[in-house]
Amino acid sequence: MDIILSVRNLNAWYGEKQVLFDVSIDIPRYHITAIIGPSGCGKTTFLRCLNRLHELGQGNKVKGEVYFYGRNFKGNIYDPNVDPTEIRKHMGMVFQKPNPFPMLSVYDNVAIGLKINGIKDKKKINEIVMNSLKKAYLLDEVQDSLNKSGASLSGGQQQRLCIARAIAYNPEILLMDEPTSALDPIATSKIEQLLVELKKEFTIIIVTHNMQQAARISDYTAFMYLGKLIEFAPTEELFETPKHELTEKYITGKFG
Amino acid sequence: MRLIDEGLQRLNSKIIRMANLSRETVELAVNAYLKNEKLTDKIFHNSETLRILQDEVSELAVELIARYQPVASDLRYIKSCMEIAYGFSRFGRYAYDIIQVLEVFGDSSSCDHTSIIKASEIVHKMIDLSIEAFINRDLEKSLLVEKMDDEVDNIYESYIANLVKEKYKDLKCAVSATLILRYLERIADHASYIAEAVLYIVKGERKPRK
Repeated sequence: MDIILSVRNLNAWYGEKQVLFDVSIDIPRYHITAIIGPSGCGKTTFLRCLNRLHELGQGNKVKGEVYFYGRNFKGNIYDPNVDPTEIRKHMGMVFQKPNPFPMLSVYDNVAIGLKINGIKDKKKINEIVMNSLKKAYLLDEVQDSLNKSGASLSGGQQQRLCIARAIAYNPEILLMDEPTSALDPIATSKIEQLLVELKKEFTIIIVTHNMQQAARISDYTAFMYLGKLIEFAPTEELFETPKHELTEKYITGKFG
Repeated sequence: MRLIDEGLQRLNSKIIRMANLSRETVELAVNAYLKNEKLTDKIFHNSETLRILQDEVSELAVELIARYQPVASDLRYIKSCMEIAYGFSRFGRYAYDIIQVLEVFGDSSSCDHTSIIKASEIVHKMIDLSIEAFINRDLEKSLLVEKMDDEVDNIYESYIANLVKEKYKDLKCAVSATLILRYLERIADHASYIAEAVLYIVKGERKPRK
């Protein structure tokens, strides 16, 4: 298996409170890995450790290794001499609530990351913006409103705009934190189709509360409970024949 | 109790109803054949009931899948119920085929029934054990069923081999016994599939089909 991220003994704290315990997992490249588990199990924290966002919170701490085998970076992203902002460029992130910049146009929402990162060639920017909107299955719908505010789009369109923004800088990994939980079923279905399409070019790690969503779109599923990784398996295996009793109880709703 | 549990219980009671009816029907058919009793109508009726129950199991299973998107042991159980229900409806169909032999060939009380009696005893036991294994999720019993399947196969195969070797004395006896043994052998296979389903429900493991 071609591994893009190899997580070893990852521990994380909010202040004194430890929320991740020795999580080790190998994330396969160009696949969708879903992370499921009850609220508070640490799945979002885990995601935020992968691009070194977690440590930004006051008093937060991370211990462990995350080996990233990227195109231009190979090694442990927690090495002291690694610049976290460099790491984040390789990993686009999409959040639960669509968060386009409301003051910016649809177009600029996608272009902003490129401009900030010093790309000045307008032709190149235009090409990337259009391509990203297209890849996010959004271009057809916003062709005539590229100059309107990003906030003028529907919820589903806004989320796809955020995906376009995330992929514009051509990251290798997309980290998604419940990207469809604020969307209706039709918008959800579009995003799900989009993700399955995007895995040809990106590795996707998605945190979801919706187990059926994990079952529909992911290739591998990880079940977390109380800050520990309980089971990690090909999705069809985890949902048909889970090995661990806790997984069985959680996914069949026999919990608690 | 989860919402799905009520549906799973309904599914379970349908399967148990099918189990009892199919066991009774096979026994009835074999005895009727051996004793030359005209029970075709009753067996046909039972066989039809089993077929209808099988449809009901399928419909309920699909409804549960659509409503609750079951996973893990729930999913394995529902899938297995569909397979098991098919097995039971086949029991009914083969029982009807057995009684048809009596209809076509008439009284066979002068024939040697040793092989049929021997095979049917094992088959009845296999049916009982497969049902018990299903109801109690008993893996030991399910293993027993699989072993007994070989015994039935042996009886059938050696009967055929003997027919070829020693020139048969009575064509009617030879053909009717061959058919009955063949149907019993098929029933035994389906009893083994039911037993195998228990392993799948409990452990998620599948045995390769022979």
